[in-house]
Amino acid sequence: MHIRNFSIIAHIDHGKSTLADRLLQITHAVSDREARAQLLDSMDLERERGITIKASAVTVYHEYKGERYELNFIDTPGHVDFHYEVSRALTACDGAILVVDSTQGVQAQTVANAYLAVDNSLELLPVLNKTDLPGSMPDDVAMEIEQVLGLPAEDCMRCSAKTGEGILELLDALCVRFPPPRDSVINETRCLIFDAIYDDYRGIIVFIRVFDGTLRVGDRMRMMSSGRTWNVTELGRYTPKATKVGELNTGEVGYLIASIKTLDDVRIGDTVTLDAHPAAEALPGYQEPLRMVFCEFYPSSSGEKGAEFETLREAIHKLHLNDASFTFEPHHSEALGFGFRCGFLGMLHMQIVQERLEREGGVDVVQTPPTVPYEILLRDDKVLLINNPADLPDMSHVAEIREPIVRIEIICPNESIGDVMKLCDSRRGMYKSQKFLSDTRQILDYEVPLAEIIYDFYDKLKSITRGYGTMDWELIGYRSDRLVKLQILVNGQTVEALSVICHRDTAEQRGRRLLIKLRRQIERHQFEIPLQAAIGGKVIARETIKAVRKNVTAKCYGGDVTRKRKLLEKQKEGKKRMKMVGNVQISQEAFMTVLESGEE
Amino acid sequence: MSSGAGRIRLIFGQPSSLASDPRTSGLSVRPGQPTMMPMDHKLPIQQAKSDGTIASVLLKVEPAPSVSSLYLHIPFCFHKCHYCDFYSLANTNHEDFVGFVARMGQELEAAGRYLSRPLDTLYIGGGTPTLLGPDLWRSLIRHIHSHVHLAPDTEWTVEANPETVTPDLMAVLAAGGVNRVSIGCQTFSPTHLKTLERWHEPSSVVAAVESARDAGIENISLDLIYAIPGQTLGQWEDDLSQALALHPQHLSCYALTFEPGTPLAVKLSRGLIDTADADLEADMFTLTRRLLIDSGFCAYEVSNFARAGRESRHNLAYWLNMDWMACGPSASGHVAGIRWKNRASLSEYLHTSTPWPTITDLEMPQPARALAERLMMGLRLARGLPYESLLADAEAIGARVSFVAALGPLIDAEHVIVDQHKHLCLTEQGLLLADSVFRQLMSAVFDPNC
Repeated sequence: MHIRNFSIIAHIDHGKSTLADRLLQITHAVSDREARAQLLDSMDLERERGITIKASAVTVYHEYKGERYELNFIDTPGHVDFHYEVSRALTACDGAILVVDSTQGVQAQTVANAYLAVDNSLELLPVLNKTDLPGSMPDDVAMEIEQVLGLPAEDCMRCSAKTGEGILELLDALCVRFPPPRDSVINETRCLIFDAIYDDYRGIIVFIRVFDGTLRVGDRMRMMSSGRTWNVTELGRYTPKATKVGELNTGEVGYLIASIKTLDDVRIGDTVTLDAHPAAEALPGYQEPLRMVFCEFYPSSSGEKGAEFETLREAIHKLHLNDASFTFEPHHSEALGFGFRCGFLGMLHMQIVQERLEREGGVDVVQTPPTVPYEILLRDDKVLLINNPADLPDMSHVAEIREPIVRIEIICPNESIGDVMKLCDSRRGMYKSQKFLSDTRQILDYEVPLAEIIYDFYDKLKSITRGYGTMDWELIGYRSDRLVKLQILVNGQTVEALSVICHRDTAEQRGRRLLIKLRRQIERHQFEIPLQAAIGGKVIARETIKAVRKNVTAKCYGGDVTRKRKLLEKQKEGKKRMKMVGNVQISQEAFMTVLESGEE
Repeated sequence: MSSGAGRIRLIFGQPSSLASDPRTSGLSVRPGQPTMMPMDHKLPIQQAKSDGTIASVLLKVEPAPSVSSLYLHIPFCFHKCHYCDFYSLANTNHEDFVGFVARMGQELEAAGRYLSRPLDTLYIGGGTPTLLGPDLWRSLIRHIHSHVHLAPDTEWTVEANPETVTPDLMAVLAAGGVNRVSIGCQTFSPTHLKTLERWHEPSSVVAAVESARDAGIENISLDLIYAIPGQTLGQWEDDLSQALALHPQHLSCYALTFEPGTPLAVKLSRGLIDTADADLEADMFTLTRRLLIDSGFCAYEVSNFARAGRESRHNLAYWLNMDWMACGPSASGHVAGIRWKNRASLSEYLHTSTPWPTITDLEMPQPARALAERLMMGLRLARGLPYESLLADAEAIGARVSFVAALGPLIDAEHVIVDQHKHLCLTEQGLLLADSVFRQLMSAVFDPNC
């Protein structure tokens, strides 16, 4: 039987999941009824956001010119934060369908994903989707693809995943155009782990592609990065229902179950070999996932103390079973009490985790403003990596502060170029290049400190470009700059969660602006609350929140008793998403004000 | 009258802690009268449906309550003022008035069985009670005398809107036994009256006061409102001076409240008007107290000021959490620990088959709630509440420890004190932050473990 291993890659919302469903349906892997829901995305949250967070692999069969083909398709995460996961999934493939929405054209992640595929020597098959829509411009989009990616416009296929038009032709084409998997290059068994999920009933399910040799049920397997071993208890394929097999051979894709307890034991990109006959060298490309955005989660003050922290702890542990790509460690802050400091692949990843904690874990969470990691060069030439401004050593020991720099690629309409460049400049961006994508759109390259784009940059970009701008980012390294720690004191107490590391030239201005915003966000208390911004112990700005002077119901007579009593009771319940800092109540919104850089 | 201080309802029965307090001497206290309902009273919890009448609930209370305060609600106005959230109808006619007065006669007859003889206080509020002309008032007064026993020292208040006050009407009221009028003055500034959508001329207040005095009603209260959008401290001081020039025995001065659903609240939410600056409002509050105390008034409640001995005895019954009966649509009553509100529907009131109106918001006795309400109402009074008796009430519901614990920081912050009469009182500073004080004390009572 012929085997084709491929992925579908696309910019978010360009129809990747719909196309996947349609492929399953046309190959009769699922019934029409089942196809109504997008099968590959299982979490509510994914469906709501229209993105795929976790990859899965599905095997279907297709007949072409009388020959039977086993098609293994590997779904990839669709968002910029999951670069590494996408790249591992692509390593398991030999070809990739590049889906482009024919009404939207090439977008930032189209380009980024296409480059990833090319880097992995994948055969690319561009497909123009949504040709049933009135706004479809397949010819123009095909030209964009040729222009930007160098794929001949006439090679683009056209389909509508929604109506099913062109899908059979696509299946035929991928049998022809994608290469078969390579043969074994060594005698020992090597399988690439490209995904793993936690299943409540079955434990950890690991998705693998066999590159060399064979893996059989009963084998003692070994993870090459950790050296740990397990017995393979089950092998199989998702068709999309789990179908057990006795062995997986070279070139095949499937899942393995080996009573692995936690996702921490499984590293995406790692190589599985046999304990008895281990390979000398792992498959290339394994990396530790990079956590680039950090924040703290605290239970909000509304609940009972202690109990809320326990609930949060349980929720985080449970979530981590499903998503090992975020890190967490217990953290205690003078101002905010007990919570967790967590690391994420990116901003979206952070938001998803926070939402899932609240939705699935039932905890009310206060999130501190996200920060990025910094490399600190000490005077004794040691280098320290910190992910929390609070950990910055005394400046007398610090020779340099280096911050992460990312290359961002923005695709936007011509008319927004000026504003987008202004936005990038205001975020300390360094202009790299500008290319035409088509008559109407351009690609901008900038190098920007990650810290400048983690909060509202993307939203601003969207609003400047009226929704048409898209962006991708990639870490290129750490760079030293004149950075200082701006500390915020509320009622005389330093609130580390409000401290930011920022550029010296803008620190004072930023401090002043921040205090003004904070003053508006913190409600009046019964006492006056001084707010101060300080750099290196020197106060550079000050604001005051005046005390509440009067809070008394004017009229209260016989007919008012019940209603006024209920009003008072309601107020005493306390507000959600509030945190006490000393005796000052600070809302989630107030914490986030530190991040809104720039304009009023 | 929409603004009115005393609106609603009637009184009877007193908390035991008051009985021996000489400062409550204005209130008649009968020996052996039930105080706050003991919890072992058999009460008809099952019958406590909100679509019933209060009669079916009170029937089951043993012994039958005897209440010494009564509130009557007259739900008519010539025009609805924009800040007012009381139940009152503006598009009514004389026929409605006639039907209403007759209907209230029936309700008074039925309520009479729970009223003690004689009544201590009677308060007729609205709406605009004085919108009923002299003839209808004669008829209402006849009903009252037929079913309610009054004594010469019964405090009988009628709320009056200045534009409806005539010498004839005042004469009818005085002859009937009314001895106190509460006039809705609000402000003397035509601009601010316009903001409030009050349709009277400032001069009509002067005339109304004269009419009442000429008729022999000496005990006059004026209602004023401050912190009106656009009002300055000086303008408010001027309002106070003009009010003082009329030599009232009593003044109620309220910071303007934007009650949900009123036209004024809607304007606020649409940004058409703005609330007064918080600091200005606090300044006005402080100025009011200073100026009226300097003028010989006693600041006996958060918003109420009286010449010696002229405190509103009826409203004291509310603040002291005593009992009162309530008649008329939307009126609220409190008897034997039971609270209820008559349905706010004139048409339903006019057409019920029983003399009792249907009720809503029925609350059966509950000791923790009773203590919370006692605190929330009683601490509004300058005299405060007897500390030992509060402790005893807290003890009875197992909340003594938490109550005392909640008091600690409030005493430290000088928001409350226990004075030389062993009364727990708000301090001048605590008074300004009363709601927050109440909240803390109430949560200690409701949730002793917090």
